Parts: sequence; structure tokens; C-alpha cells
Amino acid sequence: MTEGTVKATFDIYRYDPGHDRAPRYQRYTLDLAPHTPVLTALLKIRAEIDPSLALRYSCRSAICGSCAMQVNSKSRLACETQIGPELARDGRIVIEPMRNQSVLRDLVVEQEPFWRNYDKVQPHLILDPRHPMPEGSENPMTPEEVERFRETPRCIACAACFSACPAVEADPAFPGPMALAKLYRFVVDPRDQGHQDRLARIQTEGLWLCLRCHLCTEACPKDVRPSERIRDLKEMAVAVQGGTEHGSKHAIGFKDNIRDRGLLNEMKLVRQTSGVVGVLEQLPQGMRIVRKRPELIRKPHRIEGMDEVEKIYEALDRPEEKP
Amino acid sequence: MRLAYYPGCVAQASGKELDMATRWVCRSLGVELVEFPKFSCCGSGFSDEANEVLTVALNVRNLALAEGAGLDLLTVCSTCTGMLTLANLRYQDPKVKARVDAALAPLGIQYRGTTKVKHLLRVLTEDIGVEKIRAKVVRPLGGLKIGAFYGCHLLRPADELNWESAEEPHAFEDLLSAVGATPVYYRGRVMCCGFPIQFVKPDTASRIAGRQIDDAKVHGADAMATPCPLCHLSLDAYQNQAEKAVGHSLDMPVFHVPQVVGLAFGASPEELGLGRHLVSTAPALAKVGAGARASP
Repeated sequence: MTEGTVKATFDIYRYDPGHDRAPRYQRYTLDLAPHTPVLTALLKIRAEIDPSLALRYSCRSAICGSCAMQVNSKSRLACETQIGPELARDGRIVIEPMRNQSVLRDLVVEQEPFWRNYDKVQPHLILDPRHPMPEGSENPMTPEEVERFRETPRCIACAACFSACPAVEADPAFPGPMALAKLYRFVVDPRDQGHQDRLARIQTEGLWLCLRCHLCTEACPKDVRPSERIRDLKEMAVAVQGGTEHGSKHAIGFKDNIRDRGLLNEMKLVRQTSGVVGVLEQLPQGMRIVRKRPELIRKPHRIEGMDEVEKIYEALDRPEEKP
Repeated sequence: MRLAYYPGCVAQASGKELDMATRWVCRSLGVELVEFPKFSCCGSGFSDEANEVLTVALNVRNLALAEGAGLDLLTVCSTCTGMLTLANLRYQDPKVKARVDAALAPLGIQYRGTTKVKHLLRVLTEDIGVEKIRAKVVRPLGGLKIGAFYGCHLLRPADELNWESAEEPHAFEDLLSAVGATPVYYRGRVMCCGFPIQFVKPDTASRIAGRQIDDAKVHGADAMATPCPLCHLSLDAYQNQAEKAVGHSLDMPVFHVPQVVGLAFGASPEELGLGRHLVSTAPALAKVGAGARASP
């Protein structure tokens, strides 16, 4: 081993769906400096050991978003992840393709579903054709207006959030964190004239499938914080449209529910969210739970100081107070 | 140690066994739980989607109650922990603070922002320490392989919760080792339980829950344990639905954190409310010699 290097063991996911019966992990061992980026190591493997290794990359500077992959089970840009800390913690580096996208070959995944979801949110300014901007004119924004979407333009579309998202994994109807963060960026853009329609559409096109688990915000290499922007979108959708979907009914129902007694009335919330039909649908499951947990169908006690809670609602839950 | 006890809605109702076990464990560790009958619901990540400032104001009222008594706040739910912690942070935004203060000032409520929000898991591992826990074990949970399931809002967003690594936490596993159990590491331990959309799209919620339970099972877990009663609902009370989603039986007992500790400290299954679970804990209890009377 050369001075200043470490023995780095890579277990790399290999799969060619056209030829291989199943994926396998191939081991490569190299002497590398601890500060070597994972991408540099992979390119060295491809150049010096195994030219058949397939991967996507371009800028090597954490700008293009091409080299996102799983490094020891975490969504990472290979170009900005150093091998040293990974080896120190796990003893080896397991490299796998992004999740929630089918594998084309080795570390290269099919991106079509990711981009289709992106296109669906119309990621561009919608301007009113009846009021075209005069030739040569500008449409300036104030610094305060720009501040509302300070984080979202940092997105490099690497799909790390899409890969980390359990809602994407479980339900193709969920457009994914990146698409929704992008939607937020246009909804709050004062120049955009489509935001009412955008909010109405997204309510029925997956917005309420977000689990607010914040896995996307952890995975994002650019700190776009998609989960927080999705929360903002939900609050705006409720303000504009009220409770039109199960998700928005649940949010409004929850908020109103606490106003009764200060604590959640679990049974009442089911009715508020799902209506009488929904309650009937959930009756067998509910009865199953009530047998062990009879408190489920009892009203909670009324907390002390409900007068204070009521005054807070009176002060802050007026329609004109909403965002 | 004295703490302002914030049980949250579920532990006061359908998840009462969590409250029973918390009280038992705190009593045995000499942690005094100070009751605040004025505490209101944290909003659970739902009410803020309808009105964030209102939700922050209600939680600032909760935080101010603890501050007035000079106590840190003890939570037993990942979601309550997240909501109260985020309220502390959102309150630092001058625009939010101005509106919250305007609503609270007429009620004589002032908040200086000093209340620390601590989940029981954090108190056990940080303030009390696993060594002291280990010393109190009279019924080591030897042989029991337990998959920790953290619950999103205890870990993420990591820069706001300011606790363990959100991707590779270990406090929960340290605690499990201290009581003699063998922690099981699996990807699902830091994933979502699916509960937030249980009433929005039940099939999707069950697929998510099923995936995590199955992951724990594939990695050899005899049982799971969680610091969140909402995760517990999803993993235990709705496990039959998760089984339908994954297409096979799971039979995975799911413990609350203080139930695991209480068992190791010698509490009876009845004292910990283990008979209230939907999935029988009897096979897991039999493995640690705690009798099989709990869940029929």
C-alpha cells in the first residue's frame, strides 16, 4: 500500500437485465487516499479493472446531478462523497443504484417515470395569453417575493429524494418530492397565473400521499427541503379550496377536532375525514381494535384551560388570517 | 429528576399501555413526572397543514406551561416530539412570533423559548444513561432479537431535531443491548410506518407498514419496538392489513419503548398493558421467561 492510502473494498451492484438471471455484487479492492470521491474510485475501477461497469456521471462537481446512487444504503452524489468516512464506519463501501427506478444496467436506472412526474406539474411559468408582456419589458420580483422560494431553485434533479421516498415506493400515484417542490416554486411565484389551478389539480394528483417523513429532506444533497415545501403546498391548498379530498379533510378535521376538548377525539376524526361511508368501511377494523382498546370509541376528557385554547382559535383561525 | 410529562393524546386513550409503562419505568428510575392537566394536543403534523400558526401557538402555550414550572418536557411519542420541537423553532421566526404573541399576550402567556423537549428514549439513553439502565436489569431479555423502529419525527429533519444521525442512529439499539436484547439492524428501522396516510389511502399505508415489518422479520427480528404510539398503531393495530398488503403472515409483536425497559426491570406483563396489543406478545414474552398470560 502506498503511503497515505487505505485499502478500499467496494461491493458493487452488477446487473444486466437482458443477460443476467439475477443481480449480483462484485468486489473490487483498491489502494486509495481517504479523501478520494466515490465517483473517482468507480472511474478508476472502470478504467483499470473492469471496463464493463456501467454508471452515469458528468460534471464531477455536484452540479449536474447525474451520479446519484446509493452509497452504503444512503442516497448520495458519488462525486461529493469521500471514501474515508464510509470505510471508517462500515469497513467497506456498498454501491447500489438508486431505488424506486428500474435498473437498465448496473448503476444506471430508468429515469422516465421521474421526469414524467416532473412534466406533469408543468414546471414553467404559466402566463395569461390575454395579457402578453410588451416586447422588451421585464417582470421584476421584489427580494421578499424571491425569498419565498429561496431553496427550490437549488434543485439539480438528481432524484435522490425520489429514491428515498417511501410514498413513491408504495404508490405510483405520488409524483415524488422533487416534482412537488418544483410545483411549490411556481405556485408562490407572483408572475405565475396558474397557481389556483395548480393547487386544485395537485390535490387530486397525489399531494396528500406525502407522509411528511422528511426522508427526502435528509436525502437532498442541495438542502432544497422538499418535505417542508410540500407542507406549505398543503396549507395553501386548504386555504384556497378547503377540504375537497380525504387528505385536506383530515387536516381540517384534525384542527377543528382539538377545539372541542383540547385533545384528539379519535373516532370523531375518522368521521370528519372519511364521512359516514368511510366509517362504515372501517367498522370491522375499528371493532377489532376496540375489543382490546375500548378507549378508542370514548370521548377524551376535556383539558383544563379550554377557555385559553378557544381564545387562541378565535385569534388565529379566522379565514382572513390564513396564508 | 423532575420532568413535565406530556403524554399526548394516544397514550391517554387507545394507547393507554404506553402511559402505564412510562409511569412504571419512571417510578422505578426515580424520575418524577409532573402532570399538567392544561396540556393540549400537539396537532400531530396534521393540524398545521390546515393552519400552521394556530398549531404553533397552541404548542407554544404547552411549552410555556412547562417553562413556567422550570421543567423540561418529557414526550413519549415521536410525533409529539417533532411537533413541539418544530414549534420551538418556528417561534423564532419573527413573523410567526409576532402573530403567536398577539394571540397569547391577552391570555397572560409569555414564552421565553427555554423549554427543552425530550423524548423518553433520549432521557433514558442521554440523561440517565445505558449503564444505569443495565444495572437495574433483573430480567435480561436474552435471546430476544428486537428491531428498533424509530419513527420519523424523532429523527428528521435532523438539523432541527438535533439528536442522532438520521440515517444511522444507534441510541435505541444501545438501549436494547443494555436490557439484554439483541438489536436487529434493517433498513426499515428509520423509515416511515405509513400511518400518516392511513385515512387518506389505507392500501398504500398498509403496503408501507408491511414493508418495514417484513424487513425486520427478514433480518431475524422476533419483535419490534417503537418510541411512537402512532407507529405502534400502524405496526400493531393495523398489522392484519399490512399482512394483506405483503401477502403473507407477519406475526410480529411490537413493543413500546418503556414496555421493553419495564420487562427487563421485572414488571409484569399486566403492569405494562401487554394484553392490549393486537398482535400477541406471548411468544416474545415466553422467550424471556415473562410468562404468556399477557395476550391471549
